[in-house]
Amino acid sequence: MTKIRVLLLFMLIANVASAQTRQLSGVVTDANSQGVPSATVKIKGSNTQSLTGQDGKFTIAVPKGNIVLVISSIGFEFKEVPVSGTDDNVSISMTGSSAALGEVVVTALGIKRDKKALTYASQLVSGDELRRAANINFVDALSGKAAGIDIKTSNSGAGGSTKAVLRGNKSLLGLSEALYVIDGVPMVNNKGAQPGSYGGSDQGDGLSAINPEDIESLNILRGANAAILYGSQGANGVILITLKKGKTGKPTLSLSSSTVVDKISGLPDFQYEYGAEGSSVYNWSTTKGNYQKDYIKDFFQTGVNTTNAVSISGGGDKTTAYFSYANVSARGVVPTNTYNKNNFSFNSSTKMLNDKLTVSSSVMFSNEISHNRPGAGYYNNPLTGLYLFARQLDFADYKNNYQVFDADRNLYKMNWYSTEEKQNNPYWELNKDTKLATSNRVIANVKASYDLTKHFKFEARANIDYADKKYDNRYAAGGNSVSVSPNGAWSYAKYTDQSIYTDGIFSYTNTLGKLSITAIAGASYQKNTFYDGMSVSNGGAQYTLQYPNVFTFANMPYQVVFNQTLSRTLKQGVFADLQLGYKDALFLDIAGRNDWASTLALSGNQSYLYPSVGLSAIISEMITMPEAISFFKLRASLSQTANEVPFNVVSPLNTIGGAGDPAGPGTITYNSQVPFTNLKPEKIVSNEYGAEMKFFNGRAGLEFTYYNDVSTNQFLSLPAPSGSGYNTQYINAGKIVNKGFEIAITADPLKTSAFQWKTTVNFSQNRNKIVELIPSNPDYQVGGDDEGFASIIKAGGSFNDVYIFKFARTASGQIILDGNGVPTKAATSEKVGNVNPDFLLGWNNTVTYKDFSLSLLVTGKFGGVAFSKTEAFLDSYGVSQRTADARASATIPINADQAGTKVTSIDPVVYYSAIGDRNKIMEPYIYSRTNVRLGQFVLAYNFKIGNPNSTIKAASVSLIGRNLFFFYKKAPYDPEQAMSTGNSMQSNDVFAVPPTRSYGINLKVTF
Amino acid sequence: MKKIISAILLLSIFISSCTKDFENLNRDPNQVSDEELTQDNNLLGSPFSSLVFNIFGHQIEEDLCYDSWMGYMNTPTDFVGNVNNTTYYIRWNSYWDRIYGSVMSPSKKVIELSAKYNLPMFATWAKFVRILAVSKLTAVHGPVIYSNYGSSANSIPYDKESDLYNTFFLQLDSIQTTFSANKDYPGFAKFDQSYKGDIKQWQKLLNSVRLRLAMRLSKVDAALAKVQGEKAMSDPAGLIEVNADNFKVALLGNIMPVAQICYQWDDTRMGGVIESFMAGYNDGRSAKMFEPATSAADPIHPSFQFKGIRNGAFCGTTKPKMLTYSKVSNDFNSVLNRRAFTASEVSFLKAEAALRGWTGAGDAKTNYENGIKLSFADWGAAGVDAYIADATSKPLNYVDPADSRNNFTQPSTITIAWSEADSKELKLEKIITQKYLNTFTNTLEAWIDFRRTGYPKIPHVAKNDSSPDWGVIPATEWIKRMPFVNGERTGNTTAVADAVTKMGTGAKDDIATRLWWDTGGPNF
Repeated sequence: MTKIRVLLLFMLIANVASAQTRQLSGVVTDANSQGVPSATVKIKGSNTQSLTGQDGKFTIAVPKGNIVLVISSIGFEFKEVPVSGTDDNVSISMTGSSAALGEVVVTALGIKRDKKALTYASQLVSGDELRRAANINFVDALSGKAAGIDIKTSNSGAGGSTKAVLRGNKSLLGLSEALYVIDGVPMVNNKGAQPGSYGGSDQGDGLSAINPEDIESLNILRGANAAILYGSQGANGVILITLKKGKTGKPTLSLSSSTVVDKISGLPDFQYEYGAEGSSVYNWSTTKGNYQKDYIKDFFQTGVNTTNAVSISGGGDKTTAYFSYANVSARGVVPTNTYNKNNFSFNSSTKMLNDKLTVSSSVMFSNEISHNRPGAGYYNNPLTGLYLFARQLDFADYKNNYQVFDADRNLYKMNWYSTEEKQNNPYWELNKDTKLATSNRVIANVKASYDLTKHFKFEARANIDYADKKYDNRYAAGGNSVSVSPNGAWSYAKYTDQSIYTDGIFSYTNTLGKLSITAIAGASYQKNTFYDGMSVSNGGAQYTLQYPNVFTFANMPYQVVFNQTLSRTLKQGVFADLQLGYKDALFLDIAGRNDWASTLALSGNQSYLYPSVGLSAIISEMITMPEAISFFKLRASLSQTANEVPFNVVSPLNTIGGAGDPAGPGTITYNSQVPFTNLKPEKIVSNEYGAEMKFFNGRAGLEFTYYNDVSTNQFLSLPAPSGSGYNTQYINAGKIVNKGFEIAITADPLKTSAFQWKTTVNFSQNRNKIVELIPSNPDYQVGGDDEGFASIIKAGGSFNDVYIFKFARTASGQIILDGNGVPTKAATSEKVGNVNPDFLLGWNNTVTYKDFSLSLLVTGKFGGVAFSKTEAFLDSYGVSQRTADARASATIPINADQAGTKVTSIDPVVYYSAIGDRNKIMEPYIYSRTNVRLGQFVLAYNFKIGNPNSTIKAASVSLIGRNLFFFYKKAPYDPEQAMSTGNSMQSNDVFAVPPTRSYGINLKVTF
Repeated sequence: MKKIISAILLLSIFISSCTKDFENLNRDPNQVSDEELTQDNNLLGSPFSSLVFNIFGHQIEEDLCYDSWMGYMNTPTDFVGNVNNTTYYIRWNSYWDRIYGSVMSPSKKVIELSAKYNLPMFATWAKFVRILAVSKLTAVHGPVIYSNYGSSANSIPYDKESDLYNTFFLQLDSIQTTFSANKDYPGFAKFDQSYKGDIKQWQKLLNSVRLRLAMRLSKVDAALAKVQGEKAMSDPAGLIEVNADNFKVALLGNIMPVAQICYQWDDTRMGGVIESFMAGYNDGRSAKMFEPATSAADPIHPSFQFKGIRNGAFCGTTKPKMLTYSKVSNDFNSVLNRRAFTASEVSFLKAEAALRGWTGAGDAKTNYENGIKLSFADWGAAGVDAYIADATSKPLNYVDPADSRNNFTQPSTITIAWSEADSKELKLEKIITQKYLNTFTNTLEAWIDFRRTGYPKIPHVAKNDSSPDWGVIPATEWIKRMPFVNGERTGNTTAVADAVTKMGTGAKDDIATRLWWDTGGPNF
């Protein structure tokens, strides 16, 4: 691209050559005195510009007399430098920037482009900004820092998964999560299983493998328009990760060390005064007692996350290299939960053949080990027993003696007062039911780029992303009889995920008079082989192991099937993109891609083409704008993308349905899915329109985008009619519309040499509407009642509308009591809202005073509902403070009607037993999801390095706080720390880990 | 630009030649094609063990329905706030999906493949298993999809019950003819976990099923019932008359549901109704069916160490107390198969047939006593002779130590010993009461007999939560049927509306509408 720019520049110089000019040369360097390549050097008030070379040097023809140079580059702060008429050589030092007003951005396939030419929305977040609060997971760190991205993180602690959705949910069965791309190559991000109402734990995703230290910057392409070159995978938007590379010059060594502690920031409001009567599990005694109080609080420990990272960067004229190593060592807030991660990363780049050929390669390796990552739900969850414990009993005794010896069996059994299916001794659960997850991952690639001629360039890449994963969950014999068989339970999975990606791209750039041309054409090949391995489970309590507490394949009972797992997709694509620029002010971008997808084999639709067209106009280049407006651009873009379908759904074959038994072999299960031979890919049509403005020479900026995405041909699964001979069928149907806007405002309200204040505001809204699902079956819905809570997708509603049962009420609104005076439940469930927020807000501020800098991030999500089944259980079991208060006053006021008689007071036991627990009257447990928090607080001190020859080039120490407090929150838990990052359990809490608050310290030294 | 265009063209050609492998790539190598399974006729034979297994349900189909309604087993767990199927508010209704998903759908493919591979006996066998399954399903819902099954029409109509039974009988004729002509066919041996492929045994089962279905129609269509019953009893292939011929369904490595629900999930204990009969009769089979209560305080009848829970009981906070009541016999944890049609049931059917004057039924008393003897032998219980001779013992009233709202006065005062002096009605009550005690673990048949005859006399549910949502069961009545399933109500609306009209005037798709053969009229 450098060449393109040089050419462009050449044309421009030619244009102004007739004026009175002189030649100015100079160098642009970063804080470490390294040359900044590809920085734009522009003369203020003129269109003349130049780009720096690899060494940061530039030359530019400037008018005689005093001028002001405007320098910008990706990842650096925009800078204006006055140059006197007598200077013919200048040296300009740039400082790193978070606002990233840089003009060259990385777009799809790793192609660098002038941001002003883009016809779609994109937003850059620097690596420094991501690392500021020492998050272990970089997606977690992104929350609030970019517009239009809704991020939820799992509350399972370090190594947990995240959910990042751009511009709303588009796919009914898929996850609608953004595609992650590392240096142009799509990255595998397979999400493991997520907890549900009945239990389970977060099995993580592919993102935790990335070392945040390696990230140079992220560029977020929010819409399908920007991502068309990735084809269907990019339909939900793309997060482009640019990794740090070696830099020419003296080697630099950076060390970073951080320790962040997590503390529980909010427990439900419990009572400890009233116990249970007799052997009851319900704490509904009305006699106060003096019982143990702190065992719930004391159960949780302080989580500690320690990260140590080192990176070395350097290189000569021809070769540069970068190496990093990082270790994360963490323990969670739930005892026995630990996480350990090691990352190695190496990349290098070499120029050959008179710098015409550049060969680069990179390898990233990560190893993650998680022990006992906490889950949620009823079964095998320590928190159920902990919370519901009968208050009058001696918890300390159950804690110290969580197991008792069973002489008959000669083994230890769980010691707990209740045999309920959802209750376990919490300490038995921690110590005897162990969950291990390991992942080893390598992402390696080579890339060659060759300048064929002045205008032609060819680039080829090959990448392999390979992960080896293991999940090993063991439940000891003698535990809960409902969830664990008498000899123990074992669930084990081991598989590899592999993605091979290769592409070849020709690019052509030229400038013909006022017309600039950039054209690319290429082809890609991607073969994904996921879940290639096996899984086996004795089904909890279903089939008991042959011998207790032996977790080996040989010990599995004969009924158990050893499943082989596999999912694979081969996708080949050809693509082309033509970008025409006129006078550097008007840009037209036409792109198209054709994919061939193996998952559509036999459907006749395996080949599908989709186009995109976009236009942008730099109004400020066309007409004279008021002085305050330094840049004004309008853009519009229209695209269509298609999404392939999952593996092996067109026409599956028979399976062997069981392992058999002594009397015979396992039965053959015929395929019972209607063959879907007219299957079509899902289709998404996106329109987006935007404006980008900069004011006061870049001191302030505004970007606004409106979009409208229409998804059709959704791939839906539904039960086949009972009489049809089949059990399931797939159809293409549905129409989902997501529309909304995104606003990003950046400003430097204060900018003096000692005191600077930079602020950015990201604000967005998404409105989702399910216009139609299956016209012939208007009641069709995705999702259903899940123990009293339903997150439903159906025509006329929005994605994940929440349905619950309210009280049955009379026409005048009184709660109807039955003959026994018990509140009754409405006959049908009712929509009470939607889990997704209406508005997202992120407000990020950095205030720098001399060597101190303070960063404050306020994030807010407005609208949406949250639901707590935990609270419902606490009420029915009489352990919430509410129930104690109600008992103290012996009555709860109620506006009710019993067979025509007005009732104003109800017995607390009757009331809470009717509404609490699962599946009852859930109306009181719906809360607003709206929350506004101080998401991040970082106070940093940069040590003065007086001597430029000092070994230490830079050093800083920062104090970090995350999720410190809420300005506003109504839900009894943190709706953004999710029990599940899947689709269906959003904004739901079923005995999930309570929210945490984090504090820490981060040290950085650069040599 | 020409270079680019030609490069794209070349790539396109390259790619289109690669897509030939797509079909293979999109195939899961862990799945198996029809062709690969034809060896040893596995493709046709292997599904049978599962087809037969799935004529029975599990917790939500059986245990929280007929096991509870008929008082065999009951739950101490207050599922959904103690408002559920057991208290006549329908929460689970999934037997339909099991029959269509796991019996009708795979058997359709067996029938198609048997034509393709010219192995017609497998189609015959599959058709018979379908009758075994659908004759149970229709006793739950009434009209069901049968003769139009497999249609690709948008709306698939239900069979009216009267038509359905005629279809069953015609198909049984044809199946029996094929079986008779192929008595020594060896093809089922490997796949038949019930009779090891002995066609002659299947013939006995077929006749017994015909007799069972005939008796079901004895009140609504006495003439047809007599014809079919007599046909069943006169067929040369015979009936299931000895325990060695009992039709048992292999559990395929699964734990017997009644044991799994009780032992692993702690969701059931012995029923209070069967307790009151067995305690009153001091029934020797009780120790074979149940375990003694674990708290000495529970049993209220001296010398009878078993304790049960009332049908439709009030429960919840009392669960810990109720958990000390009698579990189902521990023996069920290790059984490999379950009773699906016993010689004892045949004997009781013949006893009733004799009362009704069907030719070939023999003597009512002999059949009645033989039924009890076969049952005691089958359950491995002793003392049958004294039991048969007992003319005084009566069922006892029930007392619940956990919650007195569950107490009931036993409505039945019937004794055991046969008396020729008794009225037909009393004789029938004795037959069905003893049939009930034998039918444990095949409880749908007991619910059918109860609706048809009103015997045995059992109490109403302690807690009746029936409501207009699913139909109101008055305090003087018992549940009559299960509603059609939601999938059909929403996805096959026209046919469901038509099916409701096929149940007769005034019928509703609720739990209070009587099935066709449940006339509510006198037994004789």
